[in-house]
Amino acid sequence: MELFLRLQQAINTFSSRNAFCINATFYTYKDLATSISKIRKAIHSGTHEETEKIVGLVANDDLETYATIFALWFEGKAYVPISPDAPKDRNLSVIQQALLVTIIDSSEQPLFPEFNTIASKKLPDCEIDLVPKKVSDQELVYILFTSGTTGQPKGVPIDRGNLTGFMKSFEKMNFKMDENDKCLQMFEMTFDLSVVSYLFPLLYGACIYTIPKGKIKFNYIFELLDEEKLTFALMVPSILQYLRPYFEEMNFPDLKYSLFCGEALSLEITKEWSVCVPNAKILNYYGPTEDTIYCTYYVYNRTGENKTHNGVLSIGRAMEGTMTIAIDENNNILPAGENGQLCLGGIQLTPGYWNNEEKNKEAFFYIDYKGEHTRFYKTGDLCRFDKEGDILYLGRLDHQVKIQGFRIELAEIEFHVKSFLGKTNAVAVPILDAVGNTEIGLIIESKPMGTDPLLDHIKTKLPAYMIPKRIQFTDEFPLNTNGKTDRNKLKQLF
Amino acid sequence: MERTQIVDKLQKIIATVVKHENFEMKNELSAADVAGWDSLTHMVIITEIEKSFQVKFKLKELNKLNNLGNLIELIQSKLS
Repeated sequence: MELFLRLQQAINTFSSRNAFCINATFYTYKDLATSISKIRKAIHSGTHEETEKIVGLVANDDLETYATIFALWFEGKAYVPISPDAPKDRNLSVIQQALLVTIIDSSEQPLFPEFNTIASKKLPDCEIDLVPKKVSDQELVYILFTSGTTGQPKGVPIDRGNLTGFMKSFEKMNFKMDENDKCLQMFEMTFDLSVVSYLFPLLYGACIYTIPKGKIKFNYIFELLDEEKLTFALMVPSILQYLRPYFEEMNFPDLKYSLFCGEALSLEITKEWSVCVPNAKILNYYGPTEDTIYCTYYVYNRTGENKTHNGVLSIGRAMEGTMTIAIDENNNILPAGENGQLCLGGIQLTPGYWNNEEKNKEAFFYIDYKGEHTRFYKTGDLCRFDKEGDILYLGRLDHQVKIQGFRIELAEIEFHVKSFLGKTNAVAVPILDAVGNTEIGLIIESKPMGTDPLLDHIKTKLPAYMIPKRIQFTDEFPLNTNGKTDRNKLKQLF
Repeated sequence: MERTQIVDKLQKIIATVVKHENFEMKNELSAADVAGWDSLTHMVIITEIEKSFQVKFKLKELNKLNNLGNLIELIQSKLS
């Protein structure tokens, strides 16, 4: 059945069951239906039907924010999540790039009063209406903005065909899910792992547990696993790094599925974690926002060997509907065993960056694949296929890093640092914190100086996870043999 | 160890990790009141406290903490 019809049917069928647990309050599918209908009515009367296909959504942690997504989808529209915690400058850049006119906001006071705002918590009651509008697969479901090398975030639009294709492929794994399942949703809405975390459980009448703002994430996840007995959890591997010192006190036999995505997953920590979740199937997923949430997977083998490179678990092979190839610098497809850039094609692939022809030319290309002219996306990830077709992840080809799964272009940080410092050079590097997670270090080519004004400035431009945690100074940047700044040497300053 | 000694040590640890002293060491103080005390720094603060006081916390104990007062009590209970 069509995805949006399934969603409608599930919300009707499970009306008395819990759909969400948000900050220790439960909301039923009926509550969700009521909220969706009210917001839908307000969208219908408050936005232009033809010209406003894309609407802003202030990403709060409440029922209305989730209901807004489904209200927009049922109306055939797309959302752009706007983080209330991100700097206003960055949010305005997103709003302008996406050409948003209307913003749906559940906050008490509207965050962007200068825009047409629908206050989703203050809407009058109305009749339930969950019938999805029939619109083409090319209509968008969301646009997410990710870190861009030029200092401006870049938009990745995902359409209904992409999302439908994703869900179909994902469900080929035959997860045993029903209305008794309890599922984790630990992600900010600006991160696409949130989409599968809220959408997949709802299709089965299951209950979604979110992480309230202001809570320490890994602590709260532990509580949910321990006390609520979650059965399904998709997490970023850095959560495991935080939990690791406490693995001994952890035993979650109710967890049936333990999924990871967003960062490299180490075999060692997976092994230790598998003891804490004795009945869980552990899966390692991989995929960039451009290819809709994730598109390859590897099933962790509890009893035998696992494929790894440098201790990092394989990212396995493509989900159905996705094509994976490794290419050399001249876009030639490489055979198994050779290192090359991982490229992705198929049903989940974005139609292209939002209003950014230059980036599109760089990142997307056509190639003959199994006799067909096929569009592929260059991920920037270095990989190698083994003889059986499993993909080993080898690292990045550029200066992109992941912090708790968030994609960060170091150049975007450097852009804002340098625009503040004027002529002084600066380089951002990934470094490891006390538990082995990645954080950002900044090296400035100058004598030591106070950095508070600089930090205050970039905090108005960049979200918290992009702010350098440690800063060093050096008189002159070392150069490598190619005459470029030697980032590896600079890293050693920490 | 005297309560004031514990408070002193804690203040130094928190200030070192979050890199400022813009917080008041009152019982009601919670992570949300201290700029820079987030998921990332929380672990570091806890690890530093464990090292400094030579104690080991369980995650369950840490999860029950709502504020600084609770943390001080927990440390006292471990030291006694």
